[in-house]
Formats: sequence, structure tokens, C-alpha cells
Amino acid sequence: MTADIASPAAESSTAVRTTLYEASTQYRHWRYSLEQLAHTRAALNTAAVSAIQEAFESDEPGSSSSVSFLNADEEHLLVKLYVGKISQLCGHFRFPEEVEATAVTYLKRFYLKNTVMDWHPKNVMLTALFLATKTTNHPISLEAYTSHIPKTAPSDVLDLEFLVAQSLGFDFAVWHAHRSLWGLWLDVQSLPDAPLDDLRASYDTALKYVRASRLTDAELVYTPSQIALACLSLASPSLASTWVRSKFPDPEITDPPVLGVIEPIKTLILADGSPPEVEAVREVDRRLKLCKNPEKVVGSKAYLKKREEEERKADEKRRRKADVIKRAMEDGDPFGSELAGRTALDDDDDDDED
Amino acid sequence: MDAVEKANAERQRRWAKDQKIGEGTYAVVYRGREVATGRKVAIKKIKVGQFKDGLDMSAIREVKYLRELKHQNVIELLDVFSSKMNLNLVLEFLDTDLELVIKDRSLVFLPADIKSWMAMTFRGLEFCHRNFILHRDLKPNNLLIAADGQLKLADFGLARDFADPGYKMTCQVITRWYRPAELLFGSRYYSTAVDIWSVGCIFAELMLRTPYLPGESDMDQLKTIFRALGTPTEEEWPGHTKLPDYVPVGQFPKTPLRDLFTAASADCLNLLSKCLIYEPRRRISAKEALNHPYFFALPYPTHPSKLPKPAPKRSSLLPLEELDGNAEPNSSGPGVKANPPNKLKRKHSEDGMNERSKSIARRLDFSQ
Repeated sequence: MTADIASPAAESSTAVRTTLYEASTQYRHWRYSLEQLAHTRAALNTAAVSAIQEAFESDEPGSSSSVSFLNADEEHLLVKLYVGKISQLCGHFRFPEEVEATAVTYLKRFYLKNTVMDWHPKNVMLTALFLATKTTNHPISLEAYTSHIPKTAPSDVLDLEFLVAQSLGFDFAVWHAHRSLWGLWLDVQSLPDAPLDDLRASYDTALKYVRASRLTDAELVYTPSQIALACLSLASPSLASTWVRSKFPDPEITDPPVLGVIEPIKTLILADGSPPEVEAVREVDRRLKLCKNPEKVVGSKAYLKKREEEERKADEKRRRKADVIKRAMEDGDPFGSELAGRTALDDDDDDDED
Repeated sequence: MDAVEKANAERQRRWAKDQKIGEGTYAVVYRGREVATGRKVAIKKIKVGQFKDGLDMSAIREVKYLRELKHQNVIELLDVFSSKMNLNLVLEFLDTDLELVIKDRSLVFLPADIKSWMAMTFRGLEFCHRNFILHRDLKPNNLLIAADGQLKLADFGLARDFADPGYKMTCQVITRWYRPAELLFGSRYYSTAVDIWSVGCIFAELMLRTPYLPGESDMDQLKTIFRALGTPTEEEWPGHTKLPDYVPVGQFPKTPLRDLFTAASADCLNLLSKCLIYEPRRRISAKEALNHPYFFALPYPTHPSKLPKPAPKRSSLLPLEELDGNAEPNSSGPGVKANPPNKLKRKHSEDGMNERSKSIARRLDFSQ
């Protein structure tokens, strides 16, 4: 007798069992190779520059020629600066590590779909952090949040919330390296001859490396547990390799492959895991003021033009809808015929009752 | 248009809303379809603009967890898109829910039917717990039933990850009748056992055909529980008198479950009693429950497709196309009734075989 009898609806036996992590949106939607990352950012930057050039031209012909747009690396540098700012803010609010790590991930993912020339990371960072407090179940009222941040109104945060959630593809759940490290730490304590004195110090050092890894692209390339192991290895190479070998007791396997995987992560963290040079970023930010998308600058000609266009479309939609209802009234059915009702509904996704 | 907006517009075009089937404070639910295939879906439109703190927590929870969970016994979130300031969740369309099934007096439940629903409930719940997710609002009306009889856990608006030991959680969760005593006593540290208690109450309700522990207030809920299962002793549940909101509510003797559930098998009562153990740490887990002898004993669970289901309603409330000849699985062909002249021809999906049972709009409760 097998469980299948008690489980008339058991998944078919041919179904491949995926691990929890492999079923996650993080695994399915947010993993890249380093090359893919570079390509994605370059393509995004190119598209943004040409769109903004166009906007400049429609604002004032000939005005885009003198503008020096940011390149992908410069955009990335600016984002990195604001990743660092998230940590500062979280320290100020005493948010748990999970909130901080989640906000950092959101900010990075946002800029794999958007450009800093459209949306300045300062604002996006504030929204990403606010959203992270909610998605990690540590909500704080918007008023309490903005009143502790200078020169920030509730609308600054809220206006972008939808855009941020949308850019994340509504994938709110994030798996973090600091959680993996915590698991490793619990695990290494049960190693047969764990040097208990050094353990705590190794963990603390490893955690510092995990925090440094947030400034890098590691989480977009590697799994949380790989990053955690790399950080442990940076803190104590012997502890990390003892742990790995305990997982591969087979003497045939002299060199568990994971030890090879973590080497490039270690290199990445050591190379990129520190905040960017402030002077360099300041220069980027100064140029950003001149090359940001005029369509997103409230009050500019391009902005007004875009708004006008949107309003014209909405107006047209409303008029069409009113026409349909009017025609139905003339037909003698005040509620509209089914056909008319459906046309109106298909046409307008937001029905009147909101 | 930005790339993000464009992608959203593309997703939005994949789905069409047809008809409103439910409304609550937070959301309106439509029946809809996938444009390309005609597959039926439910679209839950959550109004976002009205909250002063932005995206509302229950919407965030629902999206966060359903995005991650894919299991036969958990409702599937097919897509998410936005329209202006609304969030639209595209969910698989499910015909009915366990509450409507229980309340339909014309249906007779066999022990094998109850076993089948319980197996599917535990399977869905075990999957959630394996993913470190607490549902925190299990009740018959959140157990939806698909056209093929599959039961699916739905409404993750109160769900959360397990907290780390030592992290407080709110005890204001789970609809009262399905809430365990530890939450009523204000416990802020709890785990998967809270969901198991709810499943125990649902199990009993399936046998009784009426809610098992219907308390009238939080205080009365404790009394109702103790009246049914006896007041817990210190031995049975060490330390419970130290819980934050502990109040003595009187001494009630234990009555054997057998007195109330006269027709149930011994295995069945054994599993039920293990779901309703006061001490949360001793309560059975979803995984253990799935391995309980109850599920391996005769009679074997009914195949989901053979489970009792409410008869389709054929009232005038139905939209016209439901009465159209195409919707009759046994009709000799279209044209049994003349199509109303202005009716759109609609594509019917492969699940057309189940058209008869599709028309029950489920009652929606967004008050939580």
C-alpha cells in the first residue's frame, strides 16, 4: 500500500521534484550571468538615452546635442551609492536586517527594468524601503516614515510605490544570504571538532562580508547559500572547508565542487563590496541633473505634452463609453443591452464603480 | 511608454473581465477569461488608491505568497497586472467552496468523501508549511473547489512566514470559530499548530454539517471550546495559565468525541482528536496527519471528480450565455434556444464539460 492510495490527487510520479528555492520567483525570474547583467544594463541605457534624446528634441529641437548622457556604468555607480544609503536609513529606523536586505534587492531589481535618468534612485530608494517594510511584515505608517526623513513628503514615497511594485513584477519574496549564513552558523556548531572560541568571531566577520556583498551583483548571480559560504570562507577558510567536507563524507570526492564556485564570489565581494567614491558619484549626479528625462520633470514642456496626450486618450475613451450608453438609452433599455455593456467593459478596464 | 508600463499593458491584454461576481471592501471580483484560450479565470481587482499607507498589507501578503506557491491544492495565481491605480490578481477560476458544499442539504457525504477533502486540505497545508508559510485563516469558505473536484487553499491575505523563535506575531488572526485556544489566550509566539486546529474544526464540521465550535465572542469561544473538549489541565497543557490573556472560564468535564461523532471510525476520531490537542507542541503536524492510519484504512478517499457538489443553479440571475445551447453539455447542438440577437458569440473552454457546475459565484469575504 502506498501513499498514492491515500492520496488520490497525488502529483503524477513523473513530475520532477523541485527544491523550494528552485520554485521561487527569485530563482525563476531574477538570476543572471555576469554577462547577461552587463548586457541588460547596456541595452536599457541605450534605449533610455535615445528615448530621452527624443523627448529633448520635442521639447526644444536641437537641445539634445549638447547633453552628455550617463552610461550604464555611471548609472550603476549611482544605484550603488543609494544601496549604501538604505543601510544608513535602516540603522536610523532600527529596522531588522530582513527589511534592509529586501529593500536593497528591490532597488537593484528596479534598475534592471528602469533607468536612473527616468527615476532618481533617491526617491526610488525611499519607496523600495517603505515597500520592504510591508512585504517583510514590519509595517510602519507612512507618516511616521516620512516624518523622520528630511525633505520628504508622503506623496514622494507613495507616488512611486506602484511603479516599483510593477517593476519588481510583484515578486516580493526574497531569499537572503544572511539567512543562509545563520543556517551555516547553526550547522557548524555541530561539527565534531568545531573550534568553539573562534566560531562567534568567524560568524561576525562573515556577516560583515554578507553585508558587503549587498553592494555587489552577487545576489543576482549566485544563490544565497553560495554567497553565505563564500563569506564564511572569507572569514575563516578552514571552517568553511571543514563544513563543506562534512557534507561530502565520501573520501572519493577530494574537492567538493562548491569550493570552486565560491572563489569568484569571494573575488567579487573583495573587489566591489565597498561604497563608491563619493566624488565620482557627485560628478555623475551633477550630470544627471542635465540629462534626466524631461517627460518626468513636472512642469517641463515635454511633461505637459505627455500629460495632454494621456488626457486626450482618456477623454476619448470616456466619450466612446458615454456614446454607447446613450445609444442604449435610445434603444429603450436604460441599462444597456448586453452587447453594449460588454463593449464598454472591454474598452475600459476600470469600471465606473471605483 | 516605459518598458515596465509596456510589459504591464501586454499582460493586461491577455485577460478579459466578463462579469462581476463578488464585491468586498478591498476588492471586486470578476469572472474573466484568458483571451487567447478562453480559459476561465477569476480576476480580483484590489483598489489601491484609497489607502493612506499605500499598497495594503493583505494584498501584499496574498501576492507575495501566491507568487511563490504552486501546488495542486493551493489556488494558482496566474498573473498580476495593474490598471491605473488598481491591482489585478488573475486567479484560477473555482466553482464553489467547501462552505457551500457543507450547507447544501441535498448532498449526502460518505465517509470516503470527507476523507478525500481532508487529504486534499492537509496536502495543500503541508505544502504551505513546508514553505515556511502559515495560512492563518483556514475555514470552509476559504477552501475552494475546482470543476474537477480538487480542493484548493485560498485567501492568503493573513498569511505570513514563520517568525524566528522569539519574534512576536499577532494573535488577532484566524476567524473566531476556527481559532485555537492559545491565540484566544493571547499567545504571541506560535507556529503551524494554529492552522492544524482550524483543520480539526473543519474536519468536525464536515461530519456534523454545522460549525463545530461557534462561539459568539472571543470569551464565549473559549467557553464553547472547553464545553466541547473539556477545560485543559496544567498537565495536558503546561503553562497555559501563564499566557498573556489567560482567564479562567470555568471547569467543564471532558466528553468523549465518540458521544458526538457517533458514526465516525476509530481512526477518524483519533486523527480528529490529534488536531484538537490543546498543547500546540503536541498537536499533529500536517505531514504526520498525511501519514495517519485514517488515510490508509478503508474506505479509501473518493476520487475528487466523484465528490458531491452543489447542483447548478438555473435561476434567472444567470447571465444569458449560461442558458445558451452551447452551455448544455448534453444538448444536441447549438440552437436549442435561439441566441439573443445582440449576444456575443463566446468561446467555451475545454472545461466546457463542466459547464453545468460552473455558475456558482462564490461568496467572498474581504472583511478580514
